[in-house]
Amino acid sequence: MPNKFTYLFLLGLILLSSFAVKQQNEEYNIKLITPQTQYEVGNPISLKFSTSNSDKPLLYCSNSFGSTLISGVLNSNTLEYTLPEHITKKIGVVNWILTDKTTSIKGSFNIKPKAEVATMETYIGPPSIEAGETDYTMLVVIPTDSLDNPVPTNTLVTEKHQFLDSEDTNAIYTNNLIAFRNIYSKKESGRMLVSSESLGINSKEFTINVAAAIPTDFTISAIRPHDYADGNQVTTFSTSIIKDKQNNVVSDGTFVTFYITNKNQNILKTTGTTIDGIAQAKIIHPDYEDTWRIKAYVDGMSESDNITLTYKQVIEDFDVLFSNKNRTITVGPLQSFMGQMIPDGLHVTLNIYRDHVLIDSIIKTSFNGYVNFNLKPAMYQNGAYNFSIETAGKTKKINTKTLW
Amino acid sequence: MKETSNKYLISALLLGLAFHGSAIFFTLETTYDALIHLFFADHYANSWFEPWNYEWYTGFTVQSYPPLVHQSIGLLSLIGGLKFGMFSVALIAIVLFITGTYRFSLMMTGNKTVAGYASLLAVFSSSFVETLHIFGQLPSIIGVSVLMHALPEIYLWLKTGRKWYLATSLSLIAVTVTSHHVTPIFGMIFFIFPLIGMVIMDVSREQVSSIKDVTFKLFLNSFFKLFKRIVSFGMLSLVLIIGCIFPYWLNSKANPITQVPIPHGSRDNFLEITSSGLVFFLIPWGILLVLLPYIFYRYYSKRYLFFGLSVTICTILGTGGTTPIPLKMLGETAFNILTLDRFTLWASILSIPLLGEFAYRFVEGDLKTLIQKKFGAVYHRITGGLLAGLVVFMVVFTMSLNYFRPSQPQKIKMLPIVNFLNQDDHDKWRFLTLGFGDQMAWLSAQTNALTVDGNYHSARRLPELTTRPIERLENSKFKGVAGIGSLQQFLTTPEKYNLKYIFSNDKFYDPILYFCGWQRLRQLENGIMVWERLNIPPVSSILPKEDVATWLKIMWGVIPFLTVLVAFVLNIQMLWVNMLKTRVKPLPDFLKYSVSYTKFNRHVLRVTHIWSLFLAIVVFYGVYVFYLKNDSQRSPENAIIAYYDALDFKEFEKAHSLIDPQSKLPIAQYMLEISVTDGLLSSYAKMDAIKTEITKHNDSTVSAKVTSQWITPLEKIEKVDYKTLSKRNKKWYLQPDELNNDLPPDQLYSANATKYFNQGRRRITTEQTHHEDILKQPVLEVVSAKLVQYNGHYAIIGEVQNIDNVPADVILKGTLYNDANKQLATYNAKYHMKHKLMPKELSSFRINFEGIAWSKTQDSIPDTFNPDEFTPVEFEEQPTKFNLQAAGNVSGSDLYKSVVLSAMNIKDETISGNLFNSGIQEITIPQLLISYYDEHKNMLWVDHLFVKAGIRQQRKQDFKYEILNHGKVKIINEDMSNIFVNGLPNDAIAGKIVPNRIENHSETQLQKIDHPDFSYIKIEINTYIGNPN
Repeated sequence: MPNKFTYLFLLGLILLSSFAVKQQNEEYNIKLITPQTQYEVGNPISLKFSTSNSDKPLLYCSNSFGSTLISGVLNSNTLEYTLPEHITKKIGVVNWILTDKTTSIKGSFNIKPKAEVATMETYIGPPSIEAGETDYTMLVVIPTDSLDNPVPTNTLVTEKHQFLDSEDTNAIYTNNLIAFRNIYSKKESGRMLVSSESLGINSKEFTINVAAAIPTDFTISAIRPHDYADGNQVTTFSTSIIKDKQNNVVSDGTFVTFYITNKNQNILKTTGTTIDGIAQAKIIHPDYEDTWRIKAYVDGMSESDNITLTYKQVIEDFDVLFSNKNRTITVGPLQSFMGQMIPDGLHVTLNIYRDHVLIDSIIKTSFNGYVNFNLKPAMYQNGAYNFSIETAGKTKKINTKTLW
Repeated sequence: MKETSNKYLISALLLGLAFHGSAIFFTLETTYDALIHLFFADHYANSWFEPWNYEWYTGFTVQSYPPLVHQSIGLLSLIGGLKFGMFSVALIAIVLFITGTYRFSLMMTGNKTVAGYASLLAVFSSSFVETLHIFGQLPSIIGVSVLMHALPEIYLWLKTGRKWYLATSLSLIAVTVTSHHVTPIFGMIFFIFPLIGMVIMDVSREQVSSIKDVTFKLFLNSFFKLFKRIVSFGMLSLVLIIGCIFPYWLNSKANPITQVPIPHGSRDNFLEITSSGLVFFLIPWGILLVLLPYIFYRYYSKRYLFFGLSVTICTILGTGGTTPIPLKMLGETAFNILTLDRFTLWASILSIPLLGEFAYRFVEGDLKTLIQKKFGAVYHRITGGLLAGLVVFMVVFTMSLNYFRPSQPQKIKMLPIVNFLNQDDHDKWRFLTLGFGDQMAWLSAQTNALTVDGNYHSARRLPELTTRPIERLENSKFKGVAGIGSLQQFLTTPEKYNLKYIFSNDKFYDPILYFCGWQRLRQLENGIMVWERLNIPPVSSILPKEDVATWLKIMWGVIPFLTVLVAFVLNIQMLWVNMLKTRVKPLPDFLKYSVSYTKFNRHVLRVTHIWSLFLAIVVFYGVYVFYLKNDSQRSPENAIIAYYDALDFKEFEKAHSLIDPQSKLPIAQYMLEISVTDGLLSSYAKMDAIKTEITKHNDSTVSAKVTSQWITPLEKIEKVDYKTLSKRNKKWYLQPDELNNDLPPDQLYSANATKYFNQGRRRITTEQTHHEDILKQPVLEVVSAKLVQYNGHYAIIGEVQNIDNVPADVILKGTLYNDANKQLATYNAKYHMKHKLMPKELSSFRINFEGIAWSKTQDSIPDTFNPDEFTPVEFEEQPTKFNLQAAGNVSGSDLYKSVVLSAMNIKDETISGNLFNSGIQEITIPQLLISYYDEHKNMLWVDHLFVKAGIRQQRKQDFKYEILNHGKVKIINEDMSNIFVNGLPNDAIAGKIVPNRIENHSETQLQKIDHPDFSYIKIEINTYIGNPN
């Protein structure tokens, strides 16, 4: 029960103190004789006291950085205390107390900053802002003197910045140790260089990127080698130069989505990113006749007009040949718009029905204009089958072929 | 009587040191355990008395393993480095083992020549070879060797009652305890108990004229006579077992092993899983298998009766899961914690004296006479040759096992990784290795950086690890879905563990890293790929630890070496006497009980013959079955399995040899076709199971439906192929598949793209990055977000857009709360989003709340979040609110967007279509994100599809997606007030950049579908590029 003992001890102390006798006190007269209460930082400071006896009490001294005890020098009834550098180098209020055996006197003085700048701490951020006169970056300057103290309030700091062909300077003043300014973007995008100056000392250079604001509506166009639906050429969509409302070209890499609605109302899509404001996106041609309605979006921000593309059918008809006990089905020749063999890779689907039930569906790609399907006896037993062959959007039905 | 040096023992020592001593330099580092012991040794070398280790498992205590061997390596490492320490200790272990077997055999047989034979054969004992060169279990070897040294001392104490022997035996037991905890406990049962029995037998024997006259009564009498000595020894060794490693027992009690058991091969059914049978039964038994009848015959003689019981139990327990007996004997818990191969090891060590005895009798004793008399000298020589050949074969086979079936990946040069971790404060984050095998321990020993993983699974602490049967995250691909699932949790929420860097030695894990939002940093010069994740805070400088009392620390640091010192002082006197023959020493008591080998039992010889014949038949039958199973072209099933195996292991030449030669497909063409296929299935899948169904059959043609299960880093894939096989010359061949003939439009084409580079620090300095070098975090906008419930799963879904002018790496973290604002779960978006967004790009997302995320179920966490957790009784635990934190960071990597949805067709519940790669990189894994909308175009759900094949440049790839099953999505909360972007409120920051957003902008471009619950879908495409160039 330590608490119990503590209380008992305290109670005892209080009882004892009631018996204390006030001590006989000699007349005591230490007096401050230094009248100055304002000092400039960095200058030596000493406090002088007049005293009547030869005691040399310690001076207790504290500023915002900490406290210390200073011993004095007695010289013909004058006590002199010289304050150490670590106190005289810092601005602010210094409180002191001089305590003798019996009494104590106390006081304070103020150390003022010097009106000189040795170094400047400068911060700026964010390093990239948006054009349009609403976004801004903040410059913060902390000029300090050679002793690393902040300069006096209302010291002039000149903020300077260059943007496109303008160079501006603005006067700002320190307050509560710092000077700051919000630098707003202009209508144009570009690169802004910022620096500051105070009492002849210049900061280093900072770079602020002013990027374009969000895009506005644009137009699109398409380029294609031909307008045939051969499934083997690439159509390229391009946007006009996408700009923001201040007419700045949007930053490179802006993502544009092209939505394509085909005649079956299915939505296809391709995407592109801008370079110098132009986004390009590619898509392979369809392999059957189709009409595409295309519209591009920058999601939530801007969109393009609609354009329409039509792709012409290339394969109007194809032959189907059965051979080898009807077990080899040759589809072709598959000919393109000039009668040339269609480039390799056209999908041909063979659906096999037995008793009008789809039993298998084989997809093959064309090679040199032909596709061969081999129906293995192990897989397809002898008997009558129905077939349908689909390619390039065309379907051919072949009824009741007997495999044997 | 002048003692002569034992030539056999000396040659055994020389031979053993020469053979094992030179071989360890090629084997020890690739063993399973050696590097783990090295890591522990490194810990002791750096902080001898502090048991807490921060490097593994977010901190663990090394008091979870007896310290002697680790401390010895650590001490020796101060002289010549860690590996010097390890090899020195291994050499000591070899000497201890050989001398141990000699002394054990001498005690058992009482015949110095026999003991010499035994020590010579022990050098080539396949169980010792395996334990040292394949498993690298140094503490286990030292433990059992010192135990063997202790046995004669125990015998003499019990027999003579001289206190000196009590002291020596206890001192050796103490060393055993501090080097391995399991050995003395089971050593008590399997070595010391039978030894006590033998001593009692010997004491009884002295009272009668022959061993035959020893009756049970006499035995009991002798037992009571020796009772005091037995009990005093037993109690004192119990005190030592507990006292010497007291901190270990304390720690075991404080942190009991409450983990899901990790499968171990020694618990398999050896007949089913033959590889386990080989490693954990055939190899350790080796030549002893042939001598089993002799061993049992001898051990069941009266004197050795108790050893007979002990060998029998060990033999049975060593059979693992082959019979249900071990499980019943040990009980569920012990069965699942113990590795049962050590019982086989002990059985083989118990048999060594008799192996020596047999060899002696065969080479120069009565067995030789018997055989020569019965079968002639030639037969004796042939059998001798056969047996010797078998011994040599087993040794060579065991030693080369690691060469043919490496248990470890190729040796990795660690220096580049160590340098990487040391430079630029990279060790301020945790790292993870993938595909390093046990070499991760060696990396940890060399660096101060911390990892979330570790290699001593008993010390695992994170519930993410202990609730799953995986020993390391590092090799999670071998642990199937549980392993990958555990790894995914770490990859999805790495900020929880301050995990920023991953060193990948296995391409297999690349896709999951990418889709969890990691990015490649660079390849180190040793070929290891470094992956990093942005937005991870560094490890805090003060980490939690479980402290133990100072006296425990001092005890742990001092006692192990003290036991060695004491044992050394006590036993050295005897050693000097033995070595220098300074004085004549009374013969130890056990030498009195040697058997005179005059007449070898004919029946034993006959039984051994029959047994050998039986073994030979079993072996040949096994080989035949193996041949039938592996003759790849005997049946169509075999051909298909062989073909898929060959593909799985990338043995394309073998695969080609199974292709029908009449198809005239040259290997060059075949390899070319294989080389152009890429994608999740062909590059990142590991076959898990395969099932063939022969659908139609005639004599020479077969068509087969092959259903194969593949484990990929992302998901389990079931693939169904239809193959046709033909029979040619009694061999089955597969018909080659048809080629895709798609021709790309252009031979050469160009593409322009915006690329980004982030300088990091512009000045080369180790200082912290200057503030002007720090980029602004890209501004994101969460366009929509809602908490929904679908199919019992809670999820946060929505859309996020990068509204800045630079590309962003996006990390989304969702938290669920109940009505009382109690936090229920936190999780990050895994692969239901595009983690890398170009300026103004939008991505749908879904945050799932998985397993460990459920703070409520900390004690028993289900594999995946279990919706039944929320019963009506616990209504207050229903998530009703959510908080979403989006963090963007500038990233210039993985911004490939040139993929096109070029055709689409919706039929019933299936969407099929084509993806077209319009750019200049080959897409390895395309991923579709499919968002579902209701009839008012409100977003309801986000689903995904990994397309199994890659897309080459300017090629098309078809995909097929099944629309989700019917089921209503319940929207629980649409309140977007608790959404923050880079720590700032979403609304405020988005309003500054996009003040007049066009709401529901591209809504007109949603795809209509015909479905009772959903009306529209949207498809987005994400791509993983495996080899960017």
